[in-house]
Amino acid sequence: MSEFEGRGRGGRGGDKDKDDKKGGARRTFFRRRRLCKFCVEKIDYIGYRDVKLLAPFIPERGKIQPRRISGVCATHQRALQVAIKRARQIALVPYVTD
Amino acid sequence: MSTVRQYELVYIVPPETTEEALADLHAQIAAVTDRFGATFEKTENWGRRKLAYEIAGHREGVYVLEVINGPAAMTAELDRRLRVFDIVIRHMIVRVDEQLQIADRARTRRKESMASRRVRRGLPPEPTEQERNRRLEDSDELDGPEMGFRGGDR
Repeated sequence: MSEFEGRGRGGRGGDKDKDDKKGGARRTFFRRRRLCKFCVEKIDYIGYRDVKLLAPFIPERGKIQPRRISGVCATHQRALQVAIKRARQIALVPYVTD
Repeated sequence: MSTVRQYELVYIVPPETTEEALADLHAQIAAVTDRFGATFEKTENWGRRKLAYEIAGHREGVYVLEVINGPAAMTAELDRRLRVFDIVIRHMIVRVDEQLQIADRARTRRKESMASRRVRRGLPPEPTEQERNRRLEDSDELDGPEMGFRGGDR
């Protein structure tokens, strides 16, 4: 019983250590400035007609880029998402590309 | 009369459509909007564009944008009519007045807050031409070290 507990705790402890290290590594390795393009450039209206504005947020595959990658703030990601979906409807932007 | 709102109508017609056919289509749309007492804010022809995906065998299309001020009931009727036209391969009606208003409000709010901040610092409310140029130079200089830092980070 005590052995199990010990192992359990040890395992947890180990995991925690690993997590910490990983988090630290991630911070040093992949640190990048997360800036919302629309906040920085003060773009108030994200229109579906402006393909040039939307293009950087549509990767090769045609999916909408998640904001954890693009760094767009929640408010603007929501507006961007609507704009991209509208642009898709009128074939300005693809749904999927293979 | 019901509330007048602003809508954007975009439709795509095949590239081989003649000018007359386009004009005819526009007249038919105008007939519908007239019935609802709507007005055209502007009509824009984007010309021939490549479609992002194939629609009904077409790879290219002529895009036409119409900005219409009219009541909500009009959109339903327009939508129904546009579905019937063979010449229209895709259309979309979007209400825009709300979003444009929000954007406008955000713009004025930002301008006001900037002006008040500037006044508090004892500056004129509007940035002068000189200041604007200086800011541009500053941002150019910022690019250098940032890039270096990113390289060193890896």
